[in-house]
Amino acid sequence: MRGLPGQIGTWLAMPVVAALVALCLAPLLILLAYSFFQVDFVAISRDPTFANYVKIAGSETYRGLIARAFGSALLVVAITAVIGYPVAWFIAKRVTGAKSTLLTLLLVPLYSGDLVRIFAWRVLLGAEGAINRTLMWLGLTTEPLAGLLFSPLATHIALTYNYLPFMVIGLWLAFESLDDAWLEAAADLGAPAADRFRRVTLPLTSPGLIAGGLMVFVMVAGDYLTPQLLGGASGITIISAVNDLFGTAFDWPLGSAIAWTMLAILMLCFGAGALAIRRTALVSEGV
Amino acid sequence: MTTPDLRAETDGSGRAQRPLLEAKGLYKSYGEVDAVSGVDFALDGNSYVTLLGPSGCGKTSILRMIGGFEEITSGALTLDGARLDEIPAARRPINTVFQSYALFPHLSVLDNVAFGLSYRGIPRSRIRPTALEALKTVRMEAMADRRPRQLSGGQQQRVALARAIVNEPRLLLLDEPLSALDRRMRKDMQIELKDLQRRLGMTFLHVTHDQEEAFALSDRIIVMRNGRIEQQGRPDHIYARPNTAYVADFIGGAVCVPGEVVDRQAVDVILDTALGRFQIPGAPPLTAGMAAVLCLRPENLSLASDGLPARVTHCVYRGSDWIVECESAGQLLQATALDTPPPPGSDVKLSFDPARAWAAAAEQGVSA
Repeated sequence: MRGLPGQIGTWLAMPVVAALVALCLAPLLILLAYSFFQVDFVAISRDPTFANYVKIAGSETYRGLIARAFGSALLVVAITAVIGYPVAWFIAKRVTGAKSTLLTLLLVPLYSGDLVRIFAWRVLLGAEGAINRTLMWLGLTTEPLAGLLFSPLATHIALTYNYLPFMVIGLWLAFESLDDAWLEAAADLGAPAADRFRRVTLPLTSPGLIAGGLMVFVMVAGDYLTPQLLGGASGITIISAVNDLFGTAFDWPLGSAIAWTMLAILMLCFGAGALAIRRTALVSEGV
Repeated sequence: MTTPDLRAETDGSGRAQRPLLEAKGLYKSYGEVDAVSGVDFALDGNSYVTLLGPSGCGKTSILRMIGGFEEITSGALTLDGARLDEIPAARRPINTVFQSYALFPHLSVLDNVAFGLSYRGIPRSRIRPTALEALKTVRMEAMADRRPRQLSGGQQQRVALARAIVNEPRLLLLDEPLSALDRRMRKDMQIELKDLQRRLGMTFLHVTHDQEEAFALSDRIIVMRNGRIEQQGRPDHIYARPNTAYVADFIGGAVCVPGEVVDRQAVDVILDTALGRFQIPGAPPLTAGMAAVLCLRPENLSLASDGLPARVTHCVYRGSDWIVECESAGQLLQATALDTPPPPGSDVKLSFDPARAWAAAAEQGVSA
């Protein structure tokens, strides 16, 4: 009888596990299999080969696009972290009554669609947009700033705006479990404010930083709508390349290989992040 | 126990040196609530002082103001004669042992202790040995590489102590440091704390709600109530000469029989109570006409062949003696008896030495 509740749980979980395997894992594995095939004119040859991966490694375009995707992701993680720290600290430590209101407000933009948010940025950043008009009205410029929209700047502003809530939520959770007594102890022992952040706040909130950072990282690396709609000429991403390979070029094997390369790098990042979270709890700084 | 001299308030040594820390009219309010309503006290060098009082009496607020974690609403704090309130916590030569210990969970025991040393201009090569030395002082050097969470409460307590004293502060603040420990561990730590204070020659200011702890540790006790100091002085003096019924009750549970002062004669007062009229020593501010209480502790009251008529209501055996609860003239009293007392319901006589009894101010009385 004692084992029964546990067994029931196992059986109840089975449909979900089956659904995950069938709908999530299986397609990925099919994709993995495709990545070792080759396109032979209009047919697909099923002789296993690494040719697609060799092609990616040898192509400056694909390498560059992959590097840019992760570079952008890292940059946005850094920007959201810098903005997120004070916001999360404020919500966790300085707000008492309106905490849930503020958190809801933080998430409200996520309830509207991606496209709506992206087009809202067009309205703000465009040549006839709110920012340019204001600047011209103030007399700071005589003609609209051209680099504002359809540029990497516009892309990164929108990406930061889009994914900031995930970083803030991660950091907020970390701050909620950060005991103020630790910071008081650090001050008591003589640490100035900057050192209190570096030696106490940062290491003790790092699980939240890593968790929030990973979410932002993955989502920015996989975002192709924002660069496409706001980035102008810079809007080609590795994801849109995959899209073209599957859709227009009918080169499923190469598309699968790129997708799996991205997936492998992301999994490595996740592994490293998970390891880092564990390390923060176990390893100490040396004297 | 010798009856302390009433004028013993100056501690007898007659020193006129400047106190280490001085609080004048210290006041702290949180919005509408006053946590500390104007207290004055001074701490001498090389002494163990406890701030004693129930929770919410303002003792922790005082500690936090001295540590620099709370701003002073009004009044002044000086350390070695210099104003303390403008100096941030990080630059005060004061260290704190926090109630929760607040050990850094991401650092080893050794790194916790070494944390403050990098801000004291100690050469890098000396940091590790100095931290180890401090861990030795609290007998925790074997745990140097552990993480705080791998230690027991008592061990964490020792590490927190080492982390504070390694910085050689002028003043060490201890915020209910023993409250998280079990009773046995608490007794051991009390001895160690007192011993440590004597060896280091530092001043310890210890906040507690446990009067036994205060007695075990202190050279001087400051009894607090509702944000004010009710009485301060040597432990034996406070025990034998409580100013108010509150102190008498809070310190060592005296039975307080209400009465009125009829006359004052030097040290003594004539006190009228339901038990009769007595000439006994009384708190200095008491004068004729004031409401007062007769403080009788169990050890001052004994069964005798002659004295106050009383009836035994209950007996408690304590091993070394008996506590006999009696009723006399509607008052519940407690006496001690070395031999087996008569059973409940028996009529007995109680006697006490008037010189050892004490009259304290009744409620809403004086605050010294």
